[in-house]
Amino acid sequence: MPFMKGLAPIRRTLQYLESSKLVLRERVQLVSVNYNTHGEHHKGVQEFVFWHLPQLQYKNPNIQIATFRNLTPTPFIRIFLDDGEDVLMDVDSKSRPEIYDHFRKIFCKSDSKLAQEEWERQSRDNPANFGWGCDRQCICEVPGQVPCPGIIPLPKFMRGKYKSGKA
Amino acid sequence: MASNVTRGRFLIGKCIAHNIENAAQVRVQRMKFDSNLNMYFSEHKHYYAHDPEQQCKDGDIVLIKELPEKMTKAITHSLVKMIYKYGDVVDPISGKKVVLNKFRDQVSKRNEMFGVAEDGSGGFNYAEAPDRGWQEGKKDLTHKVGYKKWHVFEPGHPLHDDPVAS
Repeated sequence: MPFMKGLAPIRRTLQYLESSKLVLRERVQLVSVNYNTHGEHHKGVQEFVFWHLPQLQYKNPNIQIATFRNLTPTPFIRIFLDDGEDVLMDVDSKSRPEIYDHFRKIFCKSDSKLAQEEWERQSRDNPANFGWGCDRQCICEVPGQVPCPGIIPLPKFMRGKYKSGKA
Repeated sequence: MASNVTRGRFLIGKCIAHNIENAAQVRVQRMKFDSNLNMYFSEHKHYYAHDPEQQCKDGDIVLIKELPEKMTKAITHSLVKMIYKYGDVVDPISGKKVVLNKFRDQVSKRNEMFGVAEDGSGGFNYAEAPDRGWQEGKKDLTHKVGYKKWHVFEPGHPLHDDPVAS
């Protein structure tokens, strides 16, 4: 395992990144995390950044996620919405699970919304679709369409060989 | 409608020294994914943001937004607002001025408890110090773009002993 080096290399697996549920809402334009490198009350945010920031960036590739270290004594997460208005999230002396749950509840899309988007992406709602993963494999199964050329040969005017004069 | 809003509209970055007037050069750090290591590495980009009042000094952290059309060949963004002013950072939760990991009133109280030194100096007094910018042009030359000194000019030359050259 040559690349599984460093601190907690599980963070660098595709499975870990893709299993993240931190998909930001439409209104969120920028995420900034302010914390210090030393301090007991900053431990929760430090762990949140260590474990969840790559996940957050992976699911939201177009949004800038900035970290500002050793700027202010208190840690906080500042989110900028459209029109430049910002939302502050105080994370002073909070543990990593608390911050994660709070962040997900306020700024990320809920489980139901994610499931709905996933369902829409798979276009299961349209029964007229055919192909892999749908009810019908090919258009030849639909009554009224051209039957399968593997069973019944196509008429000459539909065959490329005849049209190009090589039949 | 939320779906019409483009994602990642705003950018946050640090102001740096530049030569263009009425603009602020902003260094923006983005994370780039390395698909081989499955890891994010930071990469920076410089943007020129339109700042007519010249309120951005270098070191300030500002929020910029892309303009619908380029203003000039270089100026592509505009300043939305100043987030943290360099030297006068205000903690947004408490509203108090801070110095790195301490509040300014904490620092002054600590100095008071320690007392004044024999030579009379009581440490840097933030309350009585003048605003940042009073030494600009005299001792503070961070707003000027530096260059490498390849040649030593004679004492009469205007570029002789240029403090910006390194």
